[in-house]
Amino acid sequence: MDIAFSPEEQHFRAECRDWLHVNVPSEPRPLHAADAIDFDKAWQRRLFDAGWAGINWPREYGGRGLSIVQQVIWLEEYARARAPWIGANFVGINHGGPTLILNGSEAQKALHLPRILSGEAIWCQGFSEPGAGSDLAGIRTRARIEGDELVVNGTKIWTSFAHVADWQELVVRTEEGSHRHAGLSWVICDMHTPGAEVRPIRKMSGQIEFAQVFYDDVRIPLENVVGGLGQGWKVAMSTLSFERGTGFIADQVKQAQELEDLLARARQTGAIKDDRIAGDLAQMRAEVAALRAMTYRNISEVVRTGQPGPEASVIRLFTAELGQRLERMALLLAGEGILDFRYGEDSLVAEYLRGFAATIAGGSSQIQRDIIGERLLGLPKSR
Amino acid sequence: MDLTPSAEQEALITATADWCADNMPLEQARQRPIALWQELEAMGWTAMTAPDMGLDHATEAVVFAELGRHLAPVGLVPSAVAARWSPHAGKAALALLDGSLEGGMLRVFDPHGAVQALGLAGHLAATTELPRDLDGGPSLDPTASLARLDPAPPFEAIADPRAALHLQLLAAAFALGCADAARDMAAAYAKVREQFERPIGWFQAIKHICADMAVRCAVARSQLYYAACALDAGADDAAFHIASAKLLADQAALENGRANIQVHGGIGMTDEAYPHLCLKRAHLLTFIAPARRDILLGDAA
Repeated sequence: MDIAFSPEEQHFRAECRDWLHVNVPSEPRPLHAADAIDFDKAWQRRLFDAGWAGINWPREYGGRGLSIVQQVIWLEEYARARAPWIGANFVGINHGGPTLILNGSEAQKALHLPRILSGEAIWCQGFSEPGAGSDLAGIRTRARIEGDELVVNGTKIWTSFAHVADWQELVVRTEEGSHRHAGLSWVICDMHTPGAEVRPIRKMSGQIEFAQVFYDDVRIPLENVVGGLGQGWKVAMSTLSFERGTGFIADQVKQAQELEDLLARARQTGAIKDDRIAGDLAQMRAEVAALRAMTYRNISEVVRTGQPGPEASVIRLFTAELGQRLERMALLLAGEGILDFRYGEDSLVAEYLRGFAATIAGGSSQIQRDIIGERLLGLPKSR
Repeated sequence: MDLTPSAEQEALITATADWCADNMPLEQARQRPIALWQELEAMGWTAMTAPDMGLDHATEAVVFAELGRHLAPVGLVPSAVAARWSPHAGKAALALLDGSLEGGMLRVFDPHGAVQALGLAGHLAATTELPRDLDGGPSLDPTASLARLDPAPPFEAIADPRAALHLQLLAAAFALGCADAARDMAAAYAKVREQFERPIGWFQAIKHICADMAVRCAVARSQLYYAACALDAGADDAAFHIASAKLLADQAALENGRANIQVHGGIGMTDEAYPHLCLKRAHLLTFIAPARRDILLGDAA
């Protein structure tokens, strides 16, 4: 075991740092998805032009094909440089694109991958439904086959960037009467197709970033099915293997920065003299360090075996909950000034309010605990 | 950068676990045979980082986590530190001083056969010679006998601050092992104990308690590895990382100790069952070189 990076890796870190130093936009990313879309596209284009788009995509698909350790370094430097979140490009770069790389036909890959990488095409996800949240296999949006088309009816919800997206990765039930994981298909849906209606939903932070999507006889060419009819669950799950434990590195570096900022503020205002505040800050400082160590351990496991360790869900759970505690501490230190909050403002209050997503989106903390109990400890399955 | 144990370290962990299972069963935790200490010495665990063996702290930490998981005699921790830093040879008992180098009462844990005691005095590790044939009586931790010396004998500080870090690191490793033991006991029991016609581990109320135990262990283990490497590398922030490891391992041991009893229910409260051994050991370990807040906050002098 050792914690030192090799001279080559340190050289690579300097390269990342130099580029980011010159290129990170100085203006903040706008709050609402509709206002941020131009910003997101411009930033993605700048990354793309310099060859920093799709750092974990294979080179043959235009990515940078970085090793896992290089990805860690890039993501650490990215966060350290306070580079903006890739926003609307998130689903395409981290989800839709990788799914096509692993499962798509040559035609699908040729059409979509370059546009995703350059930020030209925005993707959104269509998995969750009003009746299928944690129990994702309860999907009821259905598609019947008519000639060479699928005809989709139903609804999807909590779809981030739906109102600015061009394409959607849509999972629908294509076999009538099928249950649970069987009979689902992963389909590329053109968001501009007649019958697809997007109703944006305002978050309690005031932000408009996600939406409900309604499908009323939406016609999608059968050739847009990815990985074969009825293979939707398998295709959706395959994407998870692409990320290999780097998904939370930027969050973790951001948390470390936030913590140091909070500590500086607490010292400046004298709040640090409050024993509970000092104790909580000390606790979180230790936890931030441990989280980085846990990520490094997981990455080392990938280097060694090609697979992330079983503790990936621990990292996810712990990062999410630590982030929320940091946001609560920021609120505590801010005092009654938080009462001046208004919608449209991108402050620590907005951060706190939208931070509730961390333990809900993409697998709630309760589901993570089920996974840890069942896969790490071998307890009987509850579901 | 590699924070997974090497093949040799993995082999040592397995060998340690196997040896402990055969020679140091929990059934005997509160009445360890006198000859056990000689066997532990023969296995090399009392002097892994001493010049003769010259292993690194990372290797020693992973082995100590395993020893801690089997509630090995607590005297291993001060003895391993003494073997590396003290000019005096021989078993070191654990000394808990109430902060000052002089006066006050001294608690000595695991004193049988010890020639010296080692503990933290102020910010440095320190040793004192022990009277011959000092023997201990019962303490909160039924696996650790306790002798009291009043007034405390004079201590000799070990000038190198790394000795204190070493003590804190090994105590953290023992605490992690203790947390692991509680987690495994709880999970094993939740699989076999049935209520409402199913194993209690099926219920999320129990499953999530166990999951949180696993989270605490994973967090503490990661930080322990990083901290040990930082000490080996002579990193500037080694003190911070070791303090963090101790804080998280102590919390994991205590909270898992409590959770394990809750998962066991009535039997968990008894003297006969093992869960209380983990909880009581956890309380003892918190007093060995506790994490200092000024170090954690990065404003130590």
